[in-house]
Amino acid sequence: MSEPSIPIIDFKELAHSLLPEGVSFDACLTCGLCSSGCPAAGLENMDPRKFIRMAMLGMNEELSTTPWVWMCTQCRRCRHVCPMNIDISLLVHHARGNWPTELKPRGIVRSCELARSTDSTSAMGLPPEDFTFVVEDVLEEVREYQPRFKTMQAPMDKQGAFFFVNQNSREPMSEPDEMVPLWKIFDLVGADWTYSSKGWAAENFCMFSGDESAWYEVIKQRVDAVNDLGCRVWLNTECGHSYYTMWNAVNRFGMEANFSISNLITYYAQWIREGKLPVNADWNTMNLKFTVQDPCMIVRKAYGESVADDMRYVVEQLVGEENFIDMQPNRSANYCCGGGGGFLQAGMTEQRRYYGKRKFDQIAATQADYVLTPCHNCHSQMEDIGHHYGGSYQVVHFWTLICLSLGILGENERMYLGPELAQLDVPCRV
Amino acid sequence: MTNDSHPEGGMETLTTRVLVIGGGATGTGIMRDLALRGIHAILIDKKDLCAGASGGNHGLLHSGARYVYSDPHSAKECREEGDLLKRLAPQCIEDTGGLFVAVKGDDESFIEKFPELCAAASIDCEKISVERARELEPCLSEDLIASYRVPDATIDPFRLALEQVNHARTINNSLYYSHTGVDRFEVENGRIVAAVCTDFAHDRNIRIVAEQYINASGAWAMNIARMAGCADVNVLYSKGTLLITNDRIAKMVINRLRPPGDGDILVPGGTVSVLGTTSVRTEQLENVRPTVAEVNLNIKEGSPMVPELANTRYIRAFSRIRPLVQSGDGGDDRDVARSFSLVDHEDQGLGNFCTITGGKLTTFRLMAEKTVDLVAARMGIDAPCKTKTEPLSYGKSSRWTEPGAAPRVWYKANNPDDYILCECEMVPQSAIDDIVDAPPEGEEVMTLEAIALRSRAGKGPCQGSFCSMRIASYLYDRGYYRDRSGLQHMKGFLNERFKGLRSIIWGQQMAQMELAEALHCGLLGLDQIDSEEVDNA
Amino acid sequence: MSTTMKQEERAFETEMAVVGTGIAGVAASIFALNRGISVSLAGNTGSLAYTTGYLDLMGSFEKKNFAHVDDPWQAVAALAVEDPDHPLAAIDVADIKTAFTDFVAFISACGIAYTHPAEENLTAMSPVGTVKKTLCVPKTMMAGVTAYAEKSRCVIIDFRGLRGFSGAQIVANLGPDWPQLRHERITVPGMLHTEIYPEVLARTLEVPDNREVFAEAVKRVAGDAEAIGMPAVLGMHDPDKTRAELERLIGVPLFEIPTMPPSVPGIRLREMVEQYFPQKGVTLIPQQKVTKIALSDDAAVLHTADNYGPIRIVAKTVVLATGRFISGGLEAEVERIREPLLDLPVTQPETRDQWYRQQYMGRIGHDVHKAGIEVDGSFRPLAGTGKPAHERLFAAGILLAHQDWIRSRSGAGIAIATAYKAVEAAAQLLGK
Repeated sequence: MSEPSIPIIDFKELAHSLLPEGVSFDACLTCGLCSSGCPAAGLENMDPRKFIRMAMLGMNEELSTTPWVWMCTQCRRCRHVCPMNIDISLLVHHARGNWPTELKPRGIVRSCELARSTDSTSAMGLPPEDFTFVVEDVLEEVREYQPRFKTMQAPMDKQGAFFFVNQNSREPMSEPDEMVPLWKIFDLVGADWTYSSKGWAAENFCMFSGDESAWYEVIKQRVDAVNDLGCRVWLNTECGHSYYTMWNAVNRFGMEANFSISNLITYYAQWIREGKLPVNADWNTMNLKFTVQDPCMIVRKAYGESVADDMRYVVEQLVGEENFIDMQPNRSANYCCGGGGGFLQAGMTEQRRYYGKRKFDQIAATQADYVLTPCHNCHSQMEDIGHHYGGSYQVVHFWTLICLSLGILGENERMYLGPELAQLDVPCRV
Repeated sequence: MTNDSHPEGGMETLTTRVLVIGGGATGTGIMRDLALRGIHAILIDKKDLCAGASGGNHGLLHSGARYVYSDPHSAKECREEGDLLKRLAPQCIEDTGGLFVAVKGDDESFIEKFPELCAAASIDCEKISVERARELEPCLSEDLIASYRVPDATIDPFRLALEQVNHARTINNSLYYSHTGVDRFEVENGRIVAAVCTDFAHDRNIRIVAEQYINASGAWAMNIARMAGCADVNVLYSKGTLLITNDRIAKMVINRLRPPGDGDILVPGGTVSVLGTTSVRTEQLENVRPTVAEVNLNIKEGSPMVPELANTRYIRAFSRIRPLVQSGDGGDDRDVARSFSLVDHEDQGLGNFCTITGGKLTTFRLMAEKTVDLVAARMGIDAPCKTKTEPLSYGKSSRWTEPGAAPRVWYKANNPDDYILCECEMVPQSAIDDIVDAPPEGEEVMTLEAIALRSRAGKGPCQGSFCSMRIASYLYDRGYYRDRSGLQHMKGFLNERFKGLRSIIWGQQMAQMELAEALHCGLLGLDQIDSEEVDNA
Repeated sequence: MSTTMKQEERAFETEMAVVGTGIAGVAASIFALNRGISVSLAGNTGSLAYTTGYLDLMGSFEKKNFAHVDDPWQAVAALAVEDPDHPLAAIDVADIKTAFTDFVAFISACGIAYTHPAEENLTAMSPVGTVKKTLCVPKTMMAGVTAYAEKSRCVIIDFRGLRGFSGAQIVANLGPDWPQLRHERITVPGMLHTEIYPEVLARTLEVPDNREVFAEAVKRVAGDAEAIGMPAVLGMHDPDKTRAELERLIGVPLFEIPTMPPSVPGIRLREMVEQYFPQKGVTLIPQQKVTKIALSDDAAVLHTADNYGPIRIVAKTVVLATGRFISGGLEAEVERIREPLLDLPVTQPETRDQWYRQQYMGRIGHDVHKAGIEVDGSFRPLAGTGKPAHERLFAAGILLAHQDWIRSRSGAGIAIATAYKAVEAAAQLLGK
């Protein structure tokens, strides 16, 4: 009986084929800025500089088999700090894909399998009809018990809606009331939006597993769903990698997308500026301090500074400029928290927490009470390391705070607020 | 065998049976051959191992095919010796195989004769299609017109020398003294009674007393012979310059199939490739350095064969002197017979001195055998040569010169406390410990150069600019360096490394050098320590 | 605002586009801001991280056999006679002083407090036990300057796992003249079994709890030291607060010594630029190089890009501060040196053989470092004709010819002073 083994690939050749001209491993000055700035440095005695050198020294067996490739979240911070712009994470992605499925971290593989098991593309395997049911069920309850929202919609499969909104599976599966704040926001601003029963899910573990064809398939289903409904904008929920996997894939695989790709933060900022979301910081009478987590997938790897700026505008409007403390470093230079890349599903808890120590220190240095983030993985990871390292901060999504500020946050929509805010009664202002 | 610590006339005397002068492949081979025959020896070199031609070649273990045209005797010798070494010293050898290729414009009559000449020397030579050649080696030019496959291999001469010295020491405590050079010989009644030497590391003289004296000093053979009053050794100096690439380009040895010329051979050296060589007759024996012109010539001549040589990043160039035994005059130095010459000096009135010179790296064992045969006979020792059958031993501290060896060992050991000190070649602290714990005789404190010689430290893209700092600081931590000498070693090491860099600095290497120099001057001030040196313009 | 995969071009206008984010580029932005000039700054900010933290004006005087310089003001004043082609020779000493003062004031206000330029050079320690003449140091290094000057009771701390920095080495080399210097090793709690990078330790010290634990470890070995030195790890974002807090906890003046790359003072500078400069009004395009510059009578158009797509900068003036080989401001081809962005003529030795001397690390420097572009009195680079290449184009920094910033220890000085003059000249053109 033969055990599956990992094929040995030639990393030097891979680097030659993947890295742009002039930015190859040849240009590396071995200065170590990458390793110095990488939270995965030290795990498995590996770091980005060693990765490059091992590739150049022909240590293909070691690189092909090291579990470090599951601990590098491909956050691209190495490239960001490199004076030569060398991107080591590109090779890590391929190294992952090279592992036989049986040997990949089970949790990530399973999530990808589940995503492909129904038309939902949900990594928790929630089929379309169940998703539809949960949405309807929760909507009904809100209409009944929150009179302000008795005519609120949560459209499903609405042809020609302007916004196609995706949904991270976590909410409908385990915390369905957490979907509601966003519905309220759409309702308030009069957004013409819809969910789709097909291809509705946000998360994409197929990319994390390094499985290019599965990644493509999942995105294809989603793109088709948007195309089918004829929506103008695919609006990404507060989930980091879901934005990146969509944006990157359409480009990479040359897919035909008859819509633009955008994200909630950008629209929050716009709606606040337009006065459609009249948030303010009056509710923050306790002067609670907030910081913000720049998800790698949206900021450094995608939009860059502009969405980071929008995020800060939104935060400052929400909590008061003086109550916002930026993490250091931030924006494109921010550290990955360690929640991405499938780390939360990989079963490598000790390593993930080691990785997350830098994030914990960043948050601790701000002494903030709350971390705001538009990313589910960041959210989960920062909560976990907070508990592990004895932090005293809470992690919330933007929608929660927006609704709180407007005085429309329902009783059951407060699960991530700390005790001082969970009970806070803010008068409804809209 | 004895070390007289009560010096006569203020000078320490070392006693042995045989003094071997010259720590190249031949000298260390002789030391081992002697030990295997039960004869104690002291080996000295005025610098360190492989400081001459042994350390400045392609590292090519010739199939012999290169000499079938001009020197069939050498060709056969190479084949036989190569086969032996592949069996007996595999740890020093990578059996890469080789190709001979010709491109458009190369001499077709030369190409035609090639296979039969190989056959005549019993060298396996297989004609392969140019398509097949390019399949095997995609880096080959599209203008290939002929290709043959031969059993070339590559050899690491540093490892070879280290293993031979180590083996001899293990067998009968034969000793190697580095940085020790002969000043003069004391001769009485037709015999050398002692060699008076300078110990450069400790700035003192020592006397070495032996029964027999072997001059294996390669290009310096004539100088040493003359010190002994012998006029029967005539060596021509031919300077060769080679380049090292940042990255290994080809899997196999690639030879140009044409009459031997410049830039003819591209040899894999573990994780890099070595391109060479040039050949210029010179009178200068010391301080040979690669020139920009020689570097450019190698690239110009090598690129038709492997086009990427024109654009690739080079990290080092080096020059050494080939000793050529004078036979006729005129003609290209490559035509001078490369077979070796063993001179017994009887007709010079000396009975216990001999000189072995000429030859090539591939045939060192044979050269050593012949030499020791002569010397043993003179000593009345009837022990047969064992180097044809005894495998070369594996020394604990000798394994670090192999590219990629240190990181593999380190990775497997998985010890997070064993920090990497040379990041380019991934040489860990434990390797440095191994090396400094097994220094050449009499060297209490090794220089960074000596350490680098015995490892891959400083041989990657940064050429020591970063690792010199990490290694030096580690050695200070260990208490190994205890004063300014550590800084001086750093400076010396960097200056030594630079000799190989100067002629190949452009492109990415320029960026690397600028960063290094800014660090060494601006942060460390190394340019200003002991700065009363003579301006070498 | 949103995008499909189609690249979206963005364009903006500015009065001054600074190309290159080294010290010269950073200085030019500062001087532009100070003059109320709208300014954009683009470059690969990564290379900023290589700076040591020292701000050298001049540490060695080339024309006097690289003698140590104690009074850099006198030294630069002497350039007019001794080395008239030197870029600093044409600049009034008073202007250089102002430039340094303004530069230091600005970055001090951005979170990295520096000592003010004094009448003489300071003597600071290096990580290998040599000393260095420099004009300004971060205040986090100043106690070391004092300790060395006074030869006080001082302990150098190093950290297990932090390679390339050895207290033993520093003491072995400085000790003979400094009997009260000693060294101690600390194992940083929580970093038992790894190679430590200074950056990582520096960031952990931004957290109060971590500082307390660290301070305890230091106190255990401090003895009766009057000053404690260590590798540069005193915080990243707020080094002055970190140092103050640790000094409060430990009770003794602390100082840091820059390390080999990747070194914290350089990373601090980079993060400071990225964090503060946009706030101060600079349009910053970090980690992106300008790939093309087109100069016309009305304007200069510069091209760069980011993840999103192309970016076009329309500027009234351009300051070229692209540095040398590491940053790509100059490229060394096999036979000659080029300026790749505008193909400006580069003054250089005739052949590659003349770029470097035979000896690498000696007092005398290498002619390749003196290669560079020529500028006129208003710091406009010259074209092949010997006339300024364009009215709107200015240049600053070590890109300029006729100076060996490495041996003279004058990198920051050249960068800051020439940037000052270049901006002054550009301001004239802008009518500011």
